[in-house]
Amino acid sequence: MAAFWNYLSSNFDTLAEHAWGHFYVVALGLTLSSIIGISLGMLSYRNPTARAASLNTSAIILTIPSLALFAIMLTLPPPIGGLGARPVIAGLALYGLLPIVRNTIVGLNEVDQAIVESALGMGMGRRERLFRIEAPLAWPVIVTGIRVSGLLMVAIATIGSIVNGPGFGQMLLSALARIGSATATPQALVGTLGVIVFGICLDGLFRLLVHYTTPRGIRG
Amino acid sequence: MSASATDTAGRSSGGIWIRPALIAAIVIAVFVWINAVELDSIEQRLLATDAIVSAVVRHIQLVVISTVTVVALAVPAGIALTRRNLLSRALGPPILAIANAGQAVPSLGILVLIAVLFRALGFWPTIFALVLYAFLPILRNTIVGIEQVDESVIESAVGMGMTKRGVLRKIELPLAVPVVLAGIRTALVINVGTATVATLVNSGGLGDIVYGGIVQSRSTVLWAGALLVAALALAIDFLGGLAEDKLRPKGI
Repeated sequence: MAAFWNYLSSNFDTLAEHAWGHFYVVALGLTLSSIIGISLGMLSYRNPTARAASLNTSAIILTIPSLALFAIMLTLPPPIGGLGARPVIAGLALYGLLPIVRNTIVGLNEVDQAIVESALGMGMGRRERLFRIEAPLAWPVIVTGIRVSGLLMVAIATIGSIVNGPGFGQMLLSALARIGSATATPQALVGTLGVIVFGICLDGLFRLLVHYTTPRGIRG
Repeated sequence: MSASATDTAGRSSGGIWIRPALIAAIVIAVFVWINAVELDSIEQRLLATDAIVSAVVRHIQLVVISTVTVVALAVPAGIALTRRNLLSRALGPPILAIANAGQAVPSLGILVLIAVLFRALGFWPTIFALVLYAFLPILRNTIVGIEQVDESVIESAVGMGMTKRGVLRKIELPLAVPVVLAGIRTALVINVGTATVATLVNSGGLGDIVYGGIVQSRSTVLWAGALLVAALALAIDFLGGLAEDKLRPKGI
């Protein structure tokens, strides 16, 4: 236990650097995933074939082992591939699609048909109905999807360090390289706990976000 | 809810033969491709047919042994925690809370911690890590599966004169089967992925090929390994889905 605190206090700078790196890839990956996932959901929620296609594709991506996905991203041409954070961000963005696409589709389809019909009766067009009625009502479900996807990314981003991505995974790899030395165990423990604490903070943030961005009228 | 009930699972909808066809196409394409291109000596060594076959066998061993072990441990533990006695009342809620938070635990962290803590690398330390990592999700699904059984169904069973054991065997377990099976299938897929990462702790398996491709900068090797492990994950998920449909009690 003493070794743990010792390690923590003497390596605080490195820890902060890895925390920032982890935050960076998750934040960008989650932003991309949300943009792509919500768009896919909005484009496909009305059509059963399109719906099945977008759900199945994102489910297949989530089944692929993350190391394989990151490795493939690594070999793609520059905007995605290359060394560093980019292939990890691209891999995370793909990996996180399923919860967001699924919740967007479920949320939009769960909106009360009577409300949609009254919007229609008020003379709203399809686009206006989607953005002014359905999307705000589906929002709590969609944000929950983004939260689930974010938690997934926090854990998976660790594996991104194998393809040189930044974050807590770097500490784990360095601990493994120094297996048998006195600092290996505290380093591995700090790295693992860093990811867990990060995940718990993100989860809490998203619960607050869900609460405060839910339209007042439908807040539970 | 109309649309979501059938296709939220995402995995079970769609033509049932699409996935096996996709899996077969990936595997065939990989073998045709690595036989068609000119390979240098490093690529030849990493992609030798023997090496690929033994990696696949090793990978399946890792996944099957760890999943069977974790099911044998976590399902009884989950059942014990749903019995109405003092011990499970005290332990149940905190364990469920830990199991929920356990989703944030990184698989690489567990693998590395076990390696550096016990100074052990290889097959069995990896099995240990896989069991530890998949324990909480299966435990959680077992508890959730049993607790979602309608209270009034249990009461009518008791009213018909069933014993506690009878209620568990004839009512609670069959009704919990779908949720428990879903948890096991998820654990299978998680274990295929974690076993890939475990190449770093010398577990063997298809991760060796992917990682070998990364380290040696041989993208042919990397792609072949990645596609094969993706095909294995899809195949195991597909078989898990078939088992889920077959084992589900009729009428649910």
